[in-house]
Amino acid sequence: MNQQGTIPRRALGNTGAEVSLLALGGSHLGDIQDPAEATRIVHEAIDAGVTFFDNAWEYHDGRSEALLGDALRGRRDRVVLMTKVCTHGRDRRVALQQLDESLRRLRTDHLDLWQVHECVYDDDPSLHFAPGGVIEALDEARRKGKVRFVGFTGHKDPAIHLDMLGRGYPFDTAQMPLNCFDASFRSFERRVLPEVQKQGIAAIGMKSLSGGGYAVRAGVITAAEALRYAMSLSVASVVTGVDSVEVLRQNLAIARGFTPMTADEMDVLRARVAASAADGRYELYKTTTHFDARVGREQHGFPPRDEMPL
Amino acid sequence: MDKHAYQKLGPIPRRPLGKDGVSVSAIGVGGHHLGELPDVETAIELVHEAIDAGVTFFDNCWEYYDGKTEDWLGRALAGKRDQIFLMTKVCTHGRDGTLAMRMLEESLRRLQTDHLDLWQIHGVSFDDDPELAYRKGGVLEALDLARRQGKTRFVGFTGHKTPRIHLEMITRGYPFDTVQMPLNCFDASFRSFEQEVLPEARRRGIAVIGMKSLGGTGDMIRRGAVTHDEALRYAMSLPVLTTVAGMSSIDVLRGDLEIARGFTPMAPVEMAALRASSAPMAGDGRFELYKVGLRYDNPEARRAHGFPTDPTEKEIAQSLDEVMNPRGMSR
Repeated sequence: MNQQGTIPRRALGNTGAEVSLLALGGSHLGDIQDPAEATRIVHEAIDAGVTFFDNAWEYHDGRSEALLGDALRGRRDRVVLMTKVCTHGRDRRVALQQLDESLRRLRTDHLDLWQVHECVYDDDPSLHFAPGGVIEALDEARRKGKVRFVGFTGHKDPAIHLDMLGRGYPFDTAQMPLNCFDASFRSFERRVLPEVQKQGIAAIGMKSLSGGGYAVRAGVITAAEALRYAMSLSVASVVTGVDSVEVLRQNLAIARGFTPMTADEMDVLRARVAASAADGRYELYKTTTHFDARVGREQHGFPPRDEMPL
Repeated sequence: MDKHAYQKLGPIPRRPLGKDGVSVSAIGVGGHHLGELPDVETAIELVHEAIDAGVTFFDNCWEYYDGKTEDWLGRALAGKRDQIFLMTKVCTHGRDGTLAMRMLEESLRRLQTDHLDLWQIHGVSFDDDPELAYRKGGVLEALDLARRQGKTRFVGFTGHKTPRIHLEMITRGYPFDTVQMPLNCFDASFRSFEQEVLPEARRRGIAVIGMKSLGGTGDMIRRGAVTHDEALRYAMSLPVLTTVAGMSSIDVLRGDLEIARGFTPMAPVEMAALRASSAPMAGDGRFELYKVGLRYDNPEARRAHGFPTDPTEKEIAQSLDEVMNPRGMSR
């Protein structure tokens, strides 16, 4: 295993903070059955130079936050801690309750970054920006010093991100799927990334391996190609799902001493996968409901995702 | 009912296409549902009754039911070809213009005519479709050729997936006469063709043909989200050339004719109210499955693109299973 080199760091937009280019995803952390194993992974990541940790109030009904909180005891100050609020359209009071729960589970008195989770429905932007909505909670949490920076996330449709970004709110970050398939299908890279840069907002990439690594297992791309592509975009960080020490070490090896792909290399990779990207089968979070959170569907009055066709 | 009985009931409104005095009925008979009728005799009866009632717009497609619906429509139009406006669609799905011309000859033979009034590119649904259509030797060259040869008067394209893809087809600049798209009260709040494509098409003088006024499956009606009359009236009230409606029985035809006869558009406030009451149910696309799911893609189009077809469900279900149950998977 390559132990040489450090994990690159990048500015988190205009916040003045700096984060590691590789971030540890919170959802997959909750897939780990043994809490001691989760702790080992978090500690090894920190020791290797990972400083940016992702999470969400609703991952595994709070287990992901609790695992991370346990692992961060005595290490809180060494990381940039992010979690997400899961109102899915409900009001600011729900948001602030969730914030207090998140802080308790994460064993801290403040977050570095608090993001509105999963803006995936066409009416989400208007629900979030409604009077008394979650955006007001972001302001309030910031005023009270409970969060330093705020942002939003989503995996569905560039148009929804652009709607969120078009309402004049000073988000610090926006998280989105960025990978070599996305470039040719309902593309966040082509449509949202330039807008985010124009506004000075930090882009956080996710789903670099196409969401669960399906494309990697299908043999269309390698994990190294996929992750290097995502890290070569103008993003502050790439959140990667890690559910074992092996996957962590694989990702660390790719990130260590990372140099961006050349524009030509990126073109070649995009072109190579374009034909298989165009129906979205390697980006099922965009094309199916199966990546959409249960709570979100409930809040919108939609039937459970199991009842939905693909 | 015969022609004379219909004449007493008042006309189906007509709307103009282009500047040469062509006009078509505000409702059109969909070609796909024609194939659901029990036999050719019923299809002929339906087509004749529609013509007698004043319907002039007839939709069809080279690939519907492997040619059966074109064949049936052709037989129904014997002696009546000149009374109607005939459209069919070409199904290259990214393949070249030579193939398109072969499909055109087959369509003409089945439809028993020497020319179409409108020939549209069918099912522009995938993100690379515009590029494939515009490439050298692609289907757009066939549209030009067919027009030059007098085999069609007008040309256009259709699709049901994503407003962006329609916009890309339009903004690349080919002078389409028509563009067909899903238009209904749910569409207004979800990946909306009405909001995103309709204004741009109008700005460029491209006539818009509405389809899927009942959401493609009629599920929105069966589940009580909206009534059949509301849904069809909404679609017909938009600034469109015509609304293609699927008519799987003579009764459905008669119901639609009743709405279309002497049709007056909904008031803007009525339309806004219907959009508003539909919006909360529209946001995840469950009444517009043609926009959301891979399973609703046309298998022929998937094949032409080299996308998995028959095993699609299995392959994708398996990938989802892996994604949802990631333990033991090496990533």
